Amino acid sequence: MTDNTINKVMTLKEAVSRFVHDGDELVVGNYTVATPFNQIMEVVRQEKKNLTVYTQSGVFDVEMLIAGECVDRIVTTYNIRSGGRGGGSMCERYQTAGKIQVEDYSNFTYNARLTAGALGYSFMPVLPGIMATDVFKVRDFMGESKFGVVECPFTGKDIPVVPAANPDVCIVHVHRADKYGNAQYWGAKGSVAWACLASKNIIVSCEELVDTEIINASPEYTILPSFRVNAVVEESFGAHPAELVGYYNMDQLFYIEMDVANASDTGLRKWMDEWVYPIPDRNTYIERYISKYGLERLKQIKAQTYYSAPVNQGAAFYSNWREDGKSVGLGLTLDEIEKVMEEKGLMIDV
Amino acid sequence: MSKKVTKIELLVVAVAHTINDGDKVVLGVGAPMLAGALAKALHAPNAVLMMESGMVDFEPLLPPRHVADVMCLKGFPYSTDLFNTFTTITYRGYVDKTILGVGQVDKYGNVNTSFMGGGPTTGMRLTGAGGAPDFMSYAKETILCLKGGKFVEELDYHTSPGYLGGGDERDRSGLFPQGSGPSMLISPDGIFRFDPETKEMYLESVIPGVTVEEVKARVPWDLKTLDPLKEYPVPKKEETDFLRSFAPYASFPNSIMMELAMQHYTQEEQRKAG
Repeated sequence: MTDNTINKVMTLKEAVSRFVHDGDELVVGNYTVATPFNQIMEVVRQEKKNLTVYTQSGVFDVEMLIAGECVDRIVTTYNIRSGGRGGGSMCERYQTAGKIQVEDYSNFTYNARLTAGALGYSFMPVLPGIMATDVFKVRDFMGESKFGVVECPFTGKDIPVVPAANPDVCIVHVHRADKYGNAQYWGAKGSVAWACLASKNIIVSCEELVDTEIINASPEYTILPSFRVNAVVEESFGAHPAELVGYYNMDQLFYIEMDVANASDTGLRKWMDEWVYPIPDRNTYIERYISKYGLERLKQIKAQTYYSAPVNQGAAFYSNWREDGKSVGLGLTLDEIEKVMEEKGLMIDV
Repeated sequence: MSKKVTKIELLVVAVAHTINDGDKVVLGVGAPMLAGALAKALHAPNAVLMMESGMVDFEPLLPPRHVADVMCLKGFPYSTDLFNTFTTITYRGYVDKTILGVGQVDKYGNVNTSFMGGGPTTGMRLTGAGGAPDFMSYAKETILCLKGGKFVEELDYHTSPGYLGGGDERDRSGLFPQGSGPSMLISPDGIFRFDPETKEMYLESVIPGVTVEEVKARVPWDLKTLDPLKEYPVPKKEETDFLRSFAPYASFPNSIMMELAMQHYTQEEQRKAG
């Protein structure tokens, strides 16, 4: 058994318990869409503590992790605000109360940290315009190491750089995966692959567990090779109420309810008392959803089909041997080829 | 004008007019996306609309709610990722225009979308930088949309670079493509431009019914105005028609939007129950 032939299918409960640890750096792999709400909720339920959360764009995922008291530090570029000026966010409430620390990057400079980590570099040059802004100048817990400046050895110009990030664990939701962990994702790609590849351990949850043959027929969609993945969890509607192209739209009414709740400190906690803590897994979550809102509402957000055009990945032949037993390139049988080897003095006695 | 229009419609149409056919445009969330859709549907069918999630040359079939909306993914030619949108497209100089929302803006078009009324640990946390600083650095031109934001003397946090301290400071810094920076700002009051020498923002036109005094009262510096002011562009009927059919809720603030959605939902529930 090697790490590309181990069946890694397990429950989300087991995956989170084995691969998310107190004090870890945890990156939310998805960007804006396909948010792994299933995994976020499990992390909250297992009461993981003292996490440093990396997120390209925090929505209710990060808000829940904060409300669940799982977070010490956040590295982000964007965080939802509920209820306009009069409302707020868990991120704001906890940061101004001194209960969490937040380092704010821009989309590119954040992504560059993960890309550096994924490529095995210790730092990555970023676009110099950032030096004119407070994104560069204002530092939180990272202090001096939020950005550095190096001199380009070829032009002599100052180049701002960011340190590589290699989070302990990435939680990511994808369209489909096989049991070994080959994971396929499509649509708006964001920084999903970089977040995964930068990380030391990866939990993949997928809408559908598929045979390896399905993966192999379209390897361009594979963002992670099996040997990088630690756990595979099949949970349909895993990203709900976020959207996943080809499967479902964002559940806007549900989002509005969350948004209304999130405008106050107690609102989201109350919401979580209903939708996070008492719910053991996604199946139960969806059952509760259906019993509360009806199946019809779920059907309304189900995606129509819009298939990509198949491409021909075929080659002219897959064997050196023609049907008549002769080689493709030389028109000789194996006996004839061995005879040539003998005649030309290529053979030695062993 | 045969039809009444809202301030938001005026704003969106004016923003849309800045997009020319063939422009490669990066759109921020909200009004900029509506403007992009309107331009593409009516006067700039070959505009290349892009978002940082990696969707390049997408067709907005519905108003995108965020930068990776599944409803914009039906049939588009180039799917890349965020890193490459910022490097191979933006940094290499292929973005003609970026249209971005504003939380706070100063007289030189520097923008804050991060914190208000204080810094990170004391102020109100807005949504954050997102892609704005890098787009505003490297797009050839930036168009700013100030829908609910504020003009300020000094930003609480400098998220995205305009003309820095004014004059030729942006070009002199060597950090940006020469000649880049904000070209205009559109608010529900009117249209603002930047002086070619001082780079200070001035008022170019006001929407019907708004006075210069009202605009000045919302701007903390001594706002210069074009004399005489230009006429605010009047939307054509086909523009407002498009906008209302494409984005019927565009003019509602979030609070009204949510109220109506919840009302609708409650009625549906009652209908099912009854």
